[in-house]
Amino acid sequence: MAGSHTILEDDSALSRADQLFHKVESVLTLIGGIVIFLLVFMATANVLGRWIFSLPISGYIDWVEQSMAFFAFLGIAFTQREGGHIRMDMLVGHIHGRPLWVTELISTLLMLFITLILIAGSFLHFLRAYQIGDSSLDINLPTWPAKLVVPVALTILALRLLLQVWGYARAIKRGGDRPVAVPLIESAADVAAAEAESLIGGAVDSNSGRNES
Amino acid sequence: MTLFQTMAQMDSISIGLWVTGFMLLFVVIGVRVAFAAALAGFLGLLWIFSAKMGFERGFLVAMKMAGTIPHSKVSTLALSLIPTFILIGFLAYHAGLTRALFEAAKRWVGWLPGGMGVATVFSAAGFAAVSGASVATSAVFARIAIPEMLKLGYNKRFAAGVVAASGTLASLIPPSAILVIYAIIVEQDVGALLMAGFLPGAFSALVYGGLVIFLAMTNKNFGPPVRGFSWKQRFESLPGALPIFFVVGIIVVCIYGGVGTPTEAGSLGAFVILCMALYKGMRWKELKGALIETAKLTVMIFTIIWGVLLYVRFLGFADLPSAFSEWISGLDQSPMMTLVFILLAYAVLGMFMDAIGMLLLTLPVVYPAVIALNGGEGVSVADSAFGVTDVGCSIWFGIIVVKMAEFCLITPPIGLNCFVVAGVRPECSVQDVFRGVMPFFVADALTIAVLVAAPGIVLWLPGLMGFA
Repeated sequence: MAGSHTILEDDSALSRADQLFHKVESVLTLIGGIVIFLLVFMATANVLGRWIFSLPISGYIDWVEQSMAFFAFLGIAFTQREGGHIRMDMLVGHIHGRPLWVTELISTLLMLFITLILIAGSFLHFLRAYQIGDSSLDINLPTWPAKLVVPVALTILALRLLLQVWGYARAIKRGGDRPVAVPLIESAADVAAAEAESLIGGAVDSNSGRNES
Repeated sequence: MTLFQTMAQMDSISIGLWVTGFMLLFVVIGVRVAFAAALAGFLGLLWIFSAKMGFERGFLVAMKMAGTIPHSKVSTLALSLIPTFILIGFLAYHAGLTRALFEAAKRWVGWLPGGMGVATVFSAAGFAAVSGASVATSAVFARIAIPEMLKLGYNKRFAAGVVAASGTLASLIPPSAILVIYAIIVEQDVGALLMAGFLPGAFSALVYGGLVIFLAMTNKNFGPPVRGFSWKQRFESLPGALPIFFVVGIIVVCIYGGVGTPTEAGSLGAFVILCMALYKGMRWKELKGALIETAKLTVMIFTIIWGVLLYVRFLGFADLPSAFSEWISGLDQSPMMTLVFILLAYAVLGMFMDAIGMLLLTLPVVYPAVIALNGGEGVSVADSAFGVTDVGCSIWFGIIVVKMAEFCLITPPIGLNCFVVAGVRPECSVQDVFRGVMPFFVADALTIAVLVAAPGIVLWLPGLMGFA
């Protein structure tokens, strides 16, 4: 399910790394959000310009297409940190303690594996565009910056996944139900309530260190 | 024979089945859907290319192919619509639209039997339309509408049920992100899908409204009407709610009239809601929160899109969809029966999975089968099984599965909307909400049956635009 999950914090090295990394991820996600904001302004200007002055923005489509990778990828690690990528919690919602952390460790390792493959593949994709000087159709924007965003964002995701591997491994070693630095499994109602909270606009900071649920 | 030799000699359909099986296994153990699909897609490509050209070259080719997909699939103009719709949703609350809508609806329809319930249905439908998120709509209205209804002596279960059910109206009334995603996966026109959702969405809202009136009339003291608003008060309540009508209107006009692209319509809508929110006192702190939440949800949706498209790329090599289509259309029963079974399967699946994930994972295989069931590409109305053309079938099926996915939000055992209402209002237990939502559940089942039986309701507007 989508939405924010609780992530516990303490003063261990793991949690400090998590919090530090979270700051970087938040900034990247905000950049993605700002690009969306700019997209809205540009499309509005484009349509109004066309209607009122018959003067659309030159290269509008190229700009939109080149901007998309930024908001589609920059927040990918942040979303993973908060447990925001959709999954089926039929199984993991019913197991607890070590069996749960072992399952989570396995699925995180699987995700890390495909992420590493995609980093390599998308980097080659970027390199090709860079070397041949590939550009967009209408106003010849270079395509390599948008293509470079993918391996960069995925590398940050890979680091986040490594942190989670560390978190789950630590949880397996120590046992217990409330490890730090990994998204905790919550009931459908908790997830839904958190989602509603995000709509009503709890500030960003409230996502970290929530302990009440 | 070694394992590798056996694997290399398998035919493509068996490979497709194995890889799909692995993907389902990944999903069940809790791998995030986007990554489960991407991983399965990569492993499938690796398998097929290794069998042809040996492991080392096969690995390189599969890696390169997989590596191009995230960027190339995401940078498509049609998809740029999604973040604008999401941003509208996160700004709508700050624009004060929920209260304004509820207040306006109360003054206009409160005099009906069960009037507050009717007001909830229509204001939630309006808000859901711009917010696009069922669960969040239910949560917001649980806070606003339930206390007012209880104060007036409404039945507790009834009040909770109305709110939980009303949230599900979100997905069909434009702007609807899930319909955009459907359109992109099945390569259908986004505008046609958005228009197609309009009538069924309005129809569902009317059915709910009618049901509330009926319940209030047949049960004594169920939901007393609220009288005494003057026409002046009614008209005074309208301006605050206007942006909603503007957003829905601009999208309909742009797409139906062909004067703007869907992204431009979504952006104009977002721009208006933004101005409204700034006017209502939203500042950088709230805006920043809304932008981060928008970016997060956008990333989530785009990730699952490219993840699934990576798997779809592999499916293309494995011929699995066409094999499944052949099997489905060769079944010894009426196509309508098969369609009903497919929909029932969605109802079950929807109990365990988020709508977007469920649709994206299944459509690459199920959608071609449904088209084949209808008679295939380019079939005429007369020769088709469901009385619709291939384009018509794809639009019609899209609306039905999306309605189906929303239906799952109010079905036990994990109807998310019911949990969220119970979670927000401590005086209502989950059982209360599930009981209260029961009549709506029955009404929804009937609505779906009507939409299945009469594709005309879905296809009329797209038909006027030249589709279907």
